[in-house]
Amino acid sequence: MFFQHKGCNLTGEKMEELIIEATKSFPFVHLDPTENTLEIRGESYPENAAKMYAPVFAWLEEYVKGLQDEVVQAELEITYFNSSSSKILMNFFDMLEDAAENGKKIVVNWYYHEDNETALECGEEFQEDMELVEFNLREISDTDD
Amino acid sequence: MLDLFSFYKDLKNDGIIFCFSGPTSQGIVEGVGEALKQRMQIEETSGKTARNLFSVFVEQMQNVIHYSAEPIVLSENEGEELRYGIVIVGQENDKFYVLSGNYIEKAHGVEIEKKLRAIQKMNKEEMKIYFKEQRRKGPDALSKGAGLGFIETARKASEPIEFAIDQVDETYCFFSIKAVI
Repeated sequence: MFFQHKGCNLTGEKMEELIIEATKSFPFVHLDPTENTLEIRGESYPENAAKMYAPVFAWLEEYVKGLQDEVVQAELEITYFNSSSSKILMNFFDMLEDAAENGKKIVVNWYYHEDNETALECGEEFQEDMELVEFNLREISDTDD
Repeated sequence: MLDLFSFYKDLKNDGIIFCFSGPTSQGIVEGVGEALKQRMQIEETSGKTARNLFSVFVEQMQNVIHYSAEPIVLSENEGEELRYGIVIVGQENDKFYVLSGNYIEKAHGVEIEKKLRAIQKMNKEEMKIYFKEQRRKGPDALSKGAGLGFIETARKASEPIEFAIDQVDETYCFFSIKAVI
Protein backbone atom coordinates (compact mmCIF):
# COMPACT_ATOMS: atom_id res chain seq x y z
CA MET A 1 0.00 0.00 0.00
CA PHE A 2 1.53 3.29 -1.03
CA PHE A 3 -0.47 6.45 -1.59
CA GLN A 4 0.94 9.69 -2.90
CA HIS A 5 -0.05 13.07 -1.58
CA LYS A 6 0.73 16.59 -2.64
CA GLY A 7 2.60 18.09 0.29
CA CYS A 8 5.14 20.57 -0.98
CA ASN A 9 8.43 21.73 0.44
CA LEU A 10 9.72 25.29 0.21
CA THR A 11 11.20 24.87 -3.22
CA GLY A 12 7.82 23.78 -4.47
CA GLU A 13 8.81 20.19 -5.10
CA LYS A 14 6.24 17.64 -4.16
CA MET A 15 7.08 15.77 -1.03
CA GLU A 16 5.65 12.31 -0.84
CA GLU A 17 4.45 10.59 2.25
CA LEU A 18 6.57 7.83 3.70
CA ILE A 19 4.99 4.57 4.76
CA ILE A 20 6.96 1.67 6.20
CA GLU A 21 5.01 -1.46 7.04
CA ALA A 22 5.63 -3.01 10.43
CA THR A 23 7.65 -6.16 10.98
CA LYS A 24 8.13 -8.11 14.21
CA SER A 25 10.97 -5.84 15.26
CA PHE A 26 10.13 -2.63 13.40
CA PRO A 27 7.13 -0.37 13.91
CA PHE A 28 4.60 0.92 11.40
CA VAL A 29 5.74 4.33 10.17
CA HIS A 30 3.55 6.84 8.38
CA LEU A 31 4.95 10.31 7.78
CA ASP A 32 2.35 12.45 6.08
CA PRO A 33 3.33 15.90 4.74
CA THR A 34 -0.29 16.77 3.84
CA GLU A 35 -1.78 16.11 7.26
CA ASN A 36 1.49 17.07 8.98
CA THR A 37 1.41 13.94 11.07
CA LEU A 38 4.34 11.71 11.98
CA GLU A 39 3.04 8.38 13.11
CA ILE A 40 5.10 5.51 14.56
CA ARG A 41 3.37 2.52 16.14
CA GLY A 42 4.56 -0.87 17.30
CA GLU A 43 7.69 -2.48 18.68
CA SER A 44 11.17 -1.40 17.73
CA TYR A 45 14.17 -3.65 18.22
CA PRO A 46 15.93 -4.06 14.88
CA GLU A 47 19.51 -5.26 14.89
CA ASN A 48 20.76 -2.13 13.17
CA ALA A 49 18.49 0.70 14.24
CA ALA A 50 20.55 3.48 12.61
CA LYS A 51 20.32 1.81 9.23
CA MET A 52 16.64 0.88 9.55
CA TYR A 53 15.61 4.42 10.50
CA ALA A 54 17.79 6.15 7.92
CA PRO A 55 14.84 6.70 5.50
CA VAL A 56 12.81 8.26 8.33
CA PHE A 57 15.55 10.77 9.10
CA ALA A 58 16.19 11.56 5.43
CA TRP A 59 12.47 12.27 5.01
CA LEU A 60 12.23 14.30 8.19
CA GLU A 61 15.22 16.47 7.35
CA GLU A 62 13.66 17.40 4.03
CA TYR A 63 10.24 17.92 5.60
CA VAL A 64 11.46 20.19 8.41
CA LYS A 65 13.25 22.43 5.89
CA GLY A 66 9.99 23.10 4.10
CA LEU A 67 7.90 23.76 7.21
CA GLN A 68 6.23 27.12 7.60
CA ASP A 69 3.54 27.76 10.17
CA GLU A 70 1.82 24.37 10.14
CA VAL A 71 1.36 22.52 13.40
CA VAL A 72 3.17 19.18 13.27
CA GLN A 73 1.69 16.31 15.26
CA ALA A 74 3.88 13.34 16.09
CA GLU A 75 1.76 10.39 17.16
CA LEU A 76 3.87 7.72 18.80
CA GLU A 77 2.66 4.49 20.31
CA ILE A 78 5.76 2.41 20.82
CA THR A 79 5.06 -0.48 23.15
CA TYR A 80 8.66 -1.67 23.40
CA PHE A 81 11.99 -0.47 22.03
CA ASN A 82 15.55 -1.68 22.53
CA SER A 83 18.42 0.53 23.63
CA SER A 84 19.64 1.38 20.14
CA SER A 85 16.10 2.39 19.12
CA SER A 86 16.02 4.54 22.23
CA LYS A 87 19.01 6.44 20.89
CA ILE A 88 17.25 6.80 17.52
CA LEU A 89 14.09 8.12 19.16
CA MET A 90 16.19 10.64 21.06
CA ASN A 91 17.66 11.83 17.76
CA PHE A 92 14.14 12.01 16.32
CA PHE A 93 12.95 14.19 19.22
CA ASP A 94 16.11 16.32 19.07
CA MET A 95 15.36 17.02 15.43
CA LEU A 96 11.85 18.12 16.38
CA GLU A 97 13.26 20.20 19.23
CA ASP A 98 15.59 21.97 16.76
CA ALA A 99 12.61 22.71 14.54
CA ALA A 100 10.73 24.09 17.56
CA GLU A 101 13.73 26.29 18.34
CA ASN A 102 13.38 27.69 14.84
CA GLY A 103 9.83 28.72 15.64
CA LYS A 104 7.99 25.65 14.33
CA LYS A 105 5.01 24.39 16.25
CA ILE A 106 5.60 20.76 17.19
CA VAL A 107 3.35 18.55 19.31
CA VAL A 108 4.34 15.04 20.34
CA ASN A 109 1.70 12.67 21.67
CA TRP A 110 3.27 9.69 23.39
CA TYR A 111 0.66 6.95 23.83
CA TYR A 112 1.01 4.20 26.38
CA HIS A 113 -1.35 1.49 27.50
CA GLU A 114 -2.58 1.79 31.08
CA ASP A 115 -0.99 -1.58 31.91
CA ASN A 116 2.37 -0.66 30.42
CA GLU A 117 4.11 1.51 33.00
CA THR A 118 7.41 0.85 31.23
CA ALA A 119 6.14 2.74 28.17
CA LEU A 120 4.95 5.56 30.44
CA GLU A 121 8.35 5.81 32.17
CA CYS A 122 10.12 5.84 28.79
CA GLY A 123 7.80 8.63 27.64
CA GLU A 124 8.55 10.60 30.80
CA GLU A 125 12.28 10.27 30.22
CA PHE A 126 11.93 11.74 26.74
CA GLN A 127 9.56 14.43 27.98
CA GLU A 128 12.15 15.56 30.57
CA ASP A 129 14.60 16.28 27.75
CA MET A 130 12.22 18.39 25.66
CA GLU A 131 11.87 22.11 26.17
CA LEU A 132 10.04 23.72 23.27
CA VAL A 133 8.29 20.70 21.84
CA GLU A 134 4.90 20.16 23.45
CA PHE A 135 5.27 16.59 24.70
CA ASN A 136 2.05 14.97 25.93
CA LEU A 137 1.75 11.61 27.67
CA ARG A 138 -1.53 10.00 26.70
CA GLU A 139 -2.92 6.93 28.40
CA ILE A 140 -4.87 4.36 26.42
CA SER A 141 -7.25 2.22 28.42
CA ASP A 142 -9.00 -0.91 27.22
CA THR A 143 -12.34 0.85 27.34
CA ASP A 144 -11.13 3.48 24.85
CA ASP A 145 -11.70 1.30 21.83
CA MET B 1 27.79 -39.88 21.34
CA LEU B 2 26.69 -36.97 23.52
CA ASP B 3 24.17 -38.14 26.09
CA LEU B 4 21.50 -35.72 25.02
CA PHE B 5 18.91 -36.98 27.48
CA SER B 6 21.07 -36.31 30.53
CA PHE B 7 22.07 -32.94 29.06
CA TYR B 8 18.38 -32.12 28.65
CA LYS B 9 17.58 -33.28 32.19
CA ASP B 10 20.43 -31.22 33.61
CA LEU B 11 19.09 -28.12 31.91
CA LYS B 12 15.59 -28.80 33.25
CA ASN B 13 16.86 -29.50 36.75
CA ASP B 14 18.84 -26.28 36.72
CA GLY B 15 15.67 -24.31 35.93
CA ILE B 16 16.83 -23.44 32.44
CA ILE B 17 13.93 -22.44 30.23
CA PHE B 18 15.86 -21.68 27.12
CA CYS B 19 19.41 -22.33 26.06
CA PHE B 20 20.92 -21.33 22.77
CA SER B 21 24.49 -21.87 21.73
CA GLY B 22 25.64 -21.17 18.22
CA PRO B 23 25.53 -18.46 15.58
CA THR B 24 22.88 -15.91 16.56
CA SER B 25 20.93 -13.68 14.23
CA GLN B 26 18.15 -11.12 14.44
CA GLY B 27 15.72 -13.79 13.21
CA ILE B 28 16.53 -15.92 16.24
CA VAL B 29 16.08 -12.93 18.57
CA GLU B 30 12.60 -12.36 17.12
CA GLY B 31 11.56 -16.01 17.06
CA VAL B 32 12.76 -16.97 20.52
CA GLY B 33 11.63 -13.61 21.91
CA GLU B 34 8.12 -14.42 20.69
CA ALA B 35 8.22 -17.85 22.35
CA LEU B 36 9.38 -16.30 25.63
CA LYS B 37 6.52 -13.80 25.51
CA GLN B 38 4.00 -16.57 24.93
CA ARG B 39 5.39 -18.64 27.78
CA MET B 40 5.17 -15.72 30.16
CA GLN B 41 1.64 -14.96 29.04
CA ILE B 42 0.51 -18.54 29.65
CA GLU B 43 2.15 -18.57 33.06
CA GLU B 44 0.66 -15.16 33.85
CA THR B 45 4.01 -13.60 34.66
CA SER B 46 3.46 -9.99 35.74
CA GLY B 47 3.55 -7.52 32.88
CA LYS B 48 6.53 -5.66 34.27
CA THR B 49 8.61 -8.80 34.83
CA ALA B 50 7.74 -10.09 31.35
CA ARG B 51 8.70 -6.77 29.76
CA ASN B 52 11.97 -6.56 31.69
CA LEU B 53 12.89 -10.14 30.82
CA PHE B 54 12.13 -9.61 27.14
CA SER B 55 14.12 -6.40 27.11
CA VAL B 56 17.19 -7.95 28.76
CA PHE B 57 16.94 -10.97 26.47
CA VAL B 58 16.96 -8.72 23.38
CA GLU B 59 19.89 -6.64 24.67
CA GLN B 60 21.96 -9.73 25.49
CA MET B 61 21.23 -11.49 22.19
CA GLN B 62 21.99 -8.36 20.20
CA ASN B 63 25.12 -7.86 22.25
CA VAL B 64 26.33 -11.26 21.02
CA ILE B 65 25.35 -10.42 17.42
CA HIS B 66 27.25 -7.12 17.58
CA TYR B 67 30.31 -7.91 19.63
CA SER B 68 31.18 -11.58 19.56
CA ALA B 69 34.68 -12.06 18.16
CA GLU B 70 33.50 -15.21 16.36
CA PRO B 71 31.71 -13.99 13.26
CA ILE B 72 30.52 -15.94 10.29
CA VAL B 73 31.15 -13.93 7.18
CA LEU B 74 28.22 -13.89 4.81
CA SER B 75 29.54 -12.11 1.77
CA GLU B 76 26.40 -12.43 -0.35
CA ASN B 77 24.18 -11.20 2.45
CA GLU B 78 25.80 -7.99 3.61
CA GLY B 79 24.42 -6.38 6.71
CA GLU B 80 23.02 -9.56 8.23
CA GLU B 81 25.73 -10.80 10.53
CA LEU B 82 25.91 -14.07 12.39
CA ARG B 83 28.12 -14.35 15.45
CA TYR B 84 28.67 -17.19 17.84
CA GLY B 85 27.63 -16.99 21.44
CA ILE B 86 25.57 -18.62 24.14
CA VAL B 87 22.41 -17.24 25.74
CA ILE B 88 20.46 -18.85 28.58
CA VAL B 89 17.16 -17.83 30.12
CA GLY B 90 16.41 -19.53 33.41
CA GLN B 91 14.66 -19.30 36.70
CA GLU B 92 16.16 -19.58 40.18
CA ASN B 93 14.74 -18.56 43.55
CA ASP B 94 11.52 -17.49 41.79
CA LYS B 95 13.38 -14.99 39.67
CA PHE B 96 14.17 -15.05 35.97
CA TYR B 97 17.69 -14.49 34.80
CA VAL B 98 19.47 -14.05 31.48
CA LEU B 99 23.01 -15.32 31.11
CA SER B 100 25.03 -14.80 27.96
CA GLY B 101 28.58 -15.28 26.81
CA ASN B 102 30.82 -14.90 23.82
CA TYR B 103 34.44 -14.55 22.77
CA ILE B 104 35.82 -11.03 22.66
CA GLU B 105 39.21 -9.56 21.91
CA LYS B 106 41.38 -8.83 24.94
CA ALA B 107 41.40 -5.07 24.45
CA HIS B 108 37.62 -5.09 24.27
CA GLY B 109 37.58 -7.03 27.54
CA VAL B 110 39.46 -4.25 29.30
CA GLU B 111 36.92 -1.68 28.06
CA ILE B 112 33.95 -3.80 29.04
CA GLU B 113 35.32 -4.42 32.50
CA LYS B 114 35.76 -0.69 33.10
CA LYS B 115 32.24 0.03 31.90
CA LEU B 116 30.60 -2.74 33.92
CA ARG B 117 32.51 -1.98 37.12
CA ALA B 118 31.25 1.60 36.90
CA ILE B 119 27.65 0.45 36.31
CA GLN B 120 27.81 -2.03 39.21
CA LYS B 121 28.45 0.86 41.61
CA MET B 122 25.41 2.85 40.50
CA ASN B 123 22.00 2.97 42.11
CA LYS B 124 18.87 3.16 39.91
CA GLU B 125 18.77 6.96 39.86
CA GLU B 126 22.45 7.18 38.86
CA MET B 127 21.81 4.58 36.17
CA LYS B 128 19.00 6.68 34.78
CA ILE B 129 21.22 9.78 34.62
CA TYR B 130 24.05 7.80 33.03
CA PHE B 131 21.66 6.22 30.51
CA LYS B 132 20.29 9.60 29.48
CA GLU B 133 23.79 11.06 29.19
CA GLN B 134 25.00 8.18 27.04
CA ARG B 135 21.89 8.34 24.89
CA ARG B 136 22.70 11.94 24.01
CA LYS B 137 26.33 11.13 23.24
CA GLY B 138 27.57 9.38 20.14
CA PRO B 139 28.46 5.73 20.70
CA ASP B 140 32.06 5.01 21.71
CA ALA B 141 34.50 3.63 19.14
CA LEU B 142 33.81 -0.01 19.92
CA SER B 143 30.03 0.19 19.91
CA LYS B 144 28.03 -0.86 16.90
CA GLY B 145 24.66 -0.22 18.46
CA ALA B 146 24.16 2.80 20.63
CA GLY B 147 26.52 1.58 23.37
CA LEU B 148 23.56 1.47 25.74
CA GLY B 149 23.02 -2.29 26.03
CA PHE B 150 24.76 -2.86 29.39
CA ILE B 151 23.21 0.10 31.13
CA GLU B 152 19.78 -0.83 29.77
CA THR B 153 20.29 -4.39 31.08
CA ALA B 154 21.37 -3.09 34.49
CA ARG B 155 18.34 -0.82 34.70
CA LYS B 156 15.94 -3.69 34.04
CA ALA B 157 17.67 -6.04 36.49
CA SER B 158 16.52 -6.34 40.10
CA GLU B 159 20.03 -7.15 41.35
CA PRO B 160 23.45 -5.79 40.37
CA ILE B 161 24.64 -7.43 37.17
CA GLU B 162 27.43 -10.00 37.44
CA PHE B 163 30.07 -10.64 34.82
CA ALA B 164 33.23 -12.63 34.23
CA ILE B 165 36.06 -12.36 31.74
CA ASP B 166 38.06 -15.57 31.30
CA GLN B 167 41.40 -15.50 29.55
CA VAL B 168 41.44 -17.86 26.57
CA ASP B 169 44.76 -17.17 24.83
CA GLU B 170 46.98 -14.29 23.73
CA THR B 171 44.26 -12.67 21.66
CA TYR B 172 40.91 -13.65 23.10
CA CYS B 173 38.95 -13.92 26.28
CA PHE B 174 35.49 -15.24 27.02
CA PHE B 175 33.01 -12.72 28.35
CA SER B 176 29.91 -13.72 30.31
CA ILE B 177 27.25 -11.59 31.93
CA LYS B 178 24.27 -12.41 34.12
CA ALA B 179 21.26 -10.27 34.86
CA VAL B 180 18.60 -11.30 37.37
CA ILE B 181 15.18 -9.83 36.59
